[in-house]
Amino acid sequence: MSIDTAAYVDDRPDEGIFRVNRAIFTDEQVFEAEMARIFEGGWVFLGLEAQAPAPHDFFTTFAGRVPILVQRDGEGQLRAFVNSCPHKGARLAQTQSGNARLHVCPYHSWSFDSAGRSKAVKWQKAGCYSAAFDQQDHGLAAVPCFENYRGFLFGSLSADVPSLADYLGEAAKLLDLVADQSEEGAELVPGQVTFTYQANWKLQLENCSDAYHFTSAHPSYIRVLERRQQETSGEVVASVWENSDYWKEETQGVGGGSYSFPNGHVLNWGVFGITPAIPLYESAAVLAERHGEGKRDWMFNMRNLTIFPNLQVAENASSQLRVIRPIGPGLTEMRTWCIAPKGESDAARRQRIRQYEDFFNPTGMATPDDTVSYENCQIGYAGRVDPWLQGYARGMTASVEGGNRFSDRIGLTPARSVLADSQLCDETLYHAYYRAWAERMGGAE
Amino acid sequence: MATLTRSQAEELLFREALLIDTRRYDEWLAMFTPDIEFWMPAWRNETETTTDPDRELSLIYYKGRRNLEDRVMRLTSGLSTASSPPPRVVHVISNVLLTAGDADTAEVSAVFTCHRFDVRMNRTECFFGRYEYALRRESEAWLIVRKKIVLLNDVIPTVVDITSI
Ligand code: FES
Ligand SMILES: [Fe+2]
Repeated sequence: MSIDTAAYVDDRPDEGIFRVNRAIFTDEQVFEAEMARIFEGGWVFLGLEAQAPAPHDFFTTFAGRVPILVQRDGEGQLRAFVNSCPHKGARLAQTQSGNARLHVCPYHSWSFDSAGRSKAVKWQKAGCYSAAFDQQDHGLAAVPCFENYRGFLFGSLSADVPSLADYLGEAAKLLDLVADQSEEGAELVPGQVTFTYQANWKLQLENCSDAYHFTSAHPSYIRVLERRQQETSGEVVASVWENSDYWKEETQGVGGGSYSFPNGHVLNWGVFGITPAIPLYESAAVLAERHGEGKRDWMFNMRNLTIFPNLQVAENASSQLRVIRPIGPGLTEMRTWCIAPKGESDAARRQRIRQYEDFFNPTGMATPDDTVSYENCQIGYAGRVDPWLQGYARGMTASVEGGNRFSDRIGLTPARSVLADSQLCDETLYHAYYRAWAERMGGAE
Repeated sequence: MATLTRSQAEELLFREALLIDTRRYDEWLAMFTPDIEFWMPAWRNETETTTDPDRELSLIYYKGRRNLEDRVMRLTSGLSTASSPPPRVVHVISNVLLTAGDADTAEVSAVFTCHRFDVRMNRTECFFGRYEYALRRESEAWLIVRKKIVLLNDVIPTVVDITSI
């Protein structure tokens, strides 16, 4: 299915115009094409290597609508398969994670080893199969491309994709900032939180990078922070936000900005400083020694990273890994975890977890005000008197090609960058999303 | 002094539900001791919840009534889109059992369903699970020192606040 991308993304850089049509969030045909061309036609994040650490461990996830099984074999090699039995298609692994030398399909007992090879077709000899059937491979269908970047596992259901290194490009260095916080890498804190919202997946994509909404959508959270700031009781849940001026309206000077990269990867960031309010503080000295001060300081910056189209790592009040799973044009499922450096102290882990729950959980004090806003947008998108949204224009005259003195500190070369004070709140970083979107959605099948 | 009776336990739980359902939050908070542990674990996998709030994630974990006062302030501030207009909720509490107790302490288990009508989106949801309470006698009143909520349907439709569990 071919989509006329100009009908959805009005991108005229020479005229200073970038607009997105409301229909991009609601059209069924757009959604079908997004699934086929983006989520089931290119690289998507599948999970962390740490989710299947031991021989025969596995976890399950989705690439678009396709159920995926990521499985480690007895020798320790990881592979990704379509989590569907070749016999009649039944979902094979039933749980989010586990350990299995053998997967036995619950429907007719075909079985598969942990390398995805067919182990047995039940009653094969008695089955009066044709020679053609006997010659066929009855193993699991492997995901055509599967690669591991420093413990972040990606797969593509299309074989026709660049290497993962090319796809991530310079944005890989931003995953390094997560992976390098401990010599042992990162892990997911036990306890996954899943929520849904009745709006399009791209709202989550955008909101992660949206500096403009914080003081507007979260004033109730900010009020709680102010109240806590006035007390120094050990009882209150401490948050890095109360120790930072980064987001405050009256803050002067450059406090952060945004970077965008080819293929739709995006970062927005702000300076928090090396403060004990950040759980990583205990490692500040050792990280500077190991990686240099520039990279260490970047680990302490507020960072919201999107690896297009479905992975977000948000490091602000705490640290969250999110996987976006579109279900329909107006329904999205978010699977979220607290991601943490392996081996951190009990005190740091506790602080990270407490900040996380308060800020990131759909049962906390910030995320619901985001997701409810997405739903408000989805309702509003029905209005087509003027179908073109005006939310992609801030920062237009501040966006420059390449990096700046901050990205230079870690040798990072983004495609574009914006340096911002607290009130600029760049919106041009969304352009990277929609340019990647248009590239993938237009053109030949 | 006598131990807590089941009908006293029911009375306390039913009253708490009424206070939440009718948004009498100050009276609700007054049912807790200042050092209350308010805990809703997350699920570690399909069958087990997390058990160690310091090393594993919870959906909600607070030690200290002070933190619940923050939550109530946010709910009632008028500054949270997700909280206004407030959803209409009704808690139905049943299967109340005394599981331990002496003259000054008691443990109570119960089950709940909470029906929520989200007026904002015109949708109705039902959350259900189990409660575990620890109570302590302070002067004449029984106060809640610990409330653990095991939410069984934990795929959260947009938002679950302290009023719908
Ligand atoms: S569908 Fe798996 S064995 Fe029949
Ligand atoms: Fe937000």
